[in-house]
Amino acid sequence: MAERVQLFATCLGDLIFPDAVADAEALLRGAGFEVEIPRRQVCCGQPAFNSGHHAAARRVARTFVRAFTRDAPIVCPSGSCTTMASHYLPELVGCEPFDVWELSAFLDARGAAPPPLNEGRVVSYHDSCHMLRELRISEAPRRLLEHSGAIVRPLERPDLCCGFGGTFSVRQPELSVAMADDKLGSAGAVEALVSADPGCLMHLNGRRERTGAGPPLVHLATALARGIDA
Amino acid sequence: MTELRQPPGRFRDTAREALGRGHTQEALAAATARLRDGRVAAWEGLDDVEALRERAHEIRMRTIDDLDRYLAEFTQNVERLGGRVFHAVTAEEARGYVVDVCRRRGARIVAKSKSMASEEIGLNEALEAAGVRPVETDLGEYILQLAGEHPVHIIAPAIEKTALEVSELLSSVEGRPVPVELEALTQAARGQLREVFQTADVGVTGANFGVVETGSICLVTNEGNGRLVSALPPVHIAIIGMERLVPTLADLAPLLKLLARSATGQKLSTYTTLITGPRREGEEDGPDELHVVILDNGRTNLRRGRYKEMLACIRCGACLNVCPVYRRGGGGAYGPVYSGPMGAVLAPLLVGLEHAKALPHASSLCGACTEACPVKIPLHELLLDLRRDLVAEGVASPFERLAFTLWSIAWSSPLGYRLSTRVARLGQPFGGLIGPGRAWAAGRALPKLRPRFRDRR
Repeated sequence: MAERVQLFATCLGDLIFPDAVADAEALLRGAGFEVEIPRRQVCCGQPAFNSGHHAAARRVARTFVRAFTRDAPIVCPSGSCTTMASHYLPELVGCEPFDVWELSAFLDARGAAPPPLNEGRVVSYHDSCHMLRELRISEAPRRLLEHSGAIVRPLERPDLCCGFGGTFSVRQPELSVAMADDKLGSAGAVEALVSADPGCLMHLNGRRERTGAGPPLVHLATALARGIDA
Repeated sequence: MTELRQPPGRFRDTAREALGRGHTQEALAAATARLRDGRVAAWEGLDDVEALRERAHEIRMRTIDDLDRYLAEFTQNVERLGGRVFHAVTAEEARGYVVDVCRRRGARIVAKSKSMASEEIGLNEALEAAGVRPVETDLGEYILQLAGEHPVHIIAPAIEKTALEVSELLSSVEGRPVPVELEALTQAARGQLREVFQTADVGVTGANFGVVETGSICLVTNEGNGRLVSALPPVHIAIIGMERLVPTLADLAPLLKLLARSATGQKLSTYTTLITGPRREGEEDGPDELHVVILDNGRTNLRRGRYKEMLACIRCGACLNVCPVYRRGGGGAYGPVYSGPMGAVLAPLLVGLEHAKALPHASSLCGACTEACPVKIPLHELLLDLRRDLVAEGVASPFERLAFTLWSIAWSSPLGYRLSTRVARLGQPFGGLIGPGRAWAAGRALPKLRPRFRDRR
């Protein structure tokens, strides 16, 4: 019988990037997993948590505790929400930890081989800060992209944050946008800038729509499931 | 103690001004990248940088955990050597002491080497008010003093100044145009400062470390001005933050190893000076009087609990150089003294959150600072903790609190989530008109709410 995984869509995934979540689901199924999508899931509470509103964050984070179980891995197409759910949520609500995985790390660890949909396409990968520094995942998404045939061109300063930062994006909008310009500008002439975090993608995409500068932004799940042109 | 306080809108307004100055942006990007690359290369040259960072962290925390004892021993040892020690609880007490020494000595000119502690207590303004002329002798600080400005980087204070601006400032002192060339500029400043070293009545320095076992002041500079300032004038006053002690010379070594590498990428700064007491009988050089001002100025607030880790800071500036927010917003935004991630953590702790409430949010929490900190201060986690304190202490705005409370009630159940997103869909066309949506939409297209993933199923 196929191993069961629980898919955590996240609020941004559910509301803004539903296609990327569907792609994540397809990738997991393609890799032979039985995918369950717990119906009562809402959000991990991170927006409030990162602003210091712990009571509010706890209220929302409890929906996660009620929706998910500990008897199967939880897979999430967002590095940031994975960080919240794995590193901070248990202490916040006072519960046992969950087995939460970021999508690309999970696929990579289980030896998934994405189809060759990006043969010869030149892309760059944007590390989300939570994924890079809290989860320490930087190789897995690149390896999967390369496995799909893409040529992954390094960004000049992969260490620089794109400027989203949750509520930072609206508390310091001028700086946030300037940082987005740095990121988009550094991507140069690649065919897509791929990232595994809906927050970064929403922010960078919003800036690109406004200025027209920079490559198209694609969620990693989409790039792997349907190719960067999807 | 008003020096570190900042009004709420200051960070955003000052950063916005910096974003609008092309030459400031160029200077910031180039200088931070150069300093960062230097650190990264220097760290790579170490056998086991992680072990060294662990050791440095352990030394710093061991000292802070037993600070009262070390302060007493350090004081005793400095006094045994003939130095005088003054424990200043407030900035006012610290500058009062320095001004008193200057008055007693009839001082007219005070030569200063770079000291963030002296910036913190507003020493120059106090000296000027007392009729004493303070002269900064660190090149960067000197340039800023001529410009009437404050440091915007704890290591490279004039990081945002261009060569042309420096030339204009030095030319005004020379009374002739100084060419915009590195050597000519340095020569001009050198000439102007040489006289100050020779005529100063009092020398004021900071201190990178105070060595407890020997009662020594450790100064690290690249221009040698620290040596001149501490050795030529008849009086030397060193101002040291109370947490900047190291128990032994053996403990000092790993910290120096990390300090220079993390600050400028050097293996060792050009001048590392250990000053142990004033001039002794039979010695030719050194001051007759050595005063050590040990500064609290709010540091005691940090000594217990979570934030004591911030006292481990050795002021290397590595966190500034990797910070994408500092890189764009510049140092001025953080306030007149400390800047970058370390400033965003330290300033609110020293003066109270209500006087620096924008600073815990002056970060995207990317964590680059924590990764770069040689003494392993979890800077971005401390910022997160400060944000919680902003809410817990009632400093965060009531509007923000209400918004998060309502949001969390709506999203505490799947039904509430579903209903609230329906309402949000109706409100979507107006999302860019008010509040956070407006801030977002000023520079970015608003994201479109799509048919929900879970509704498709």
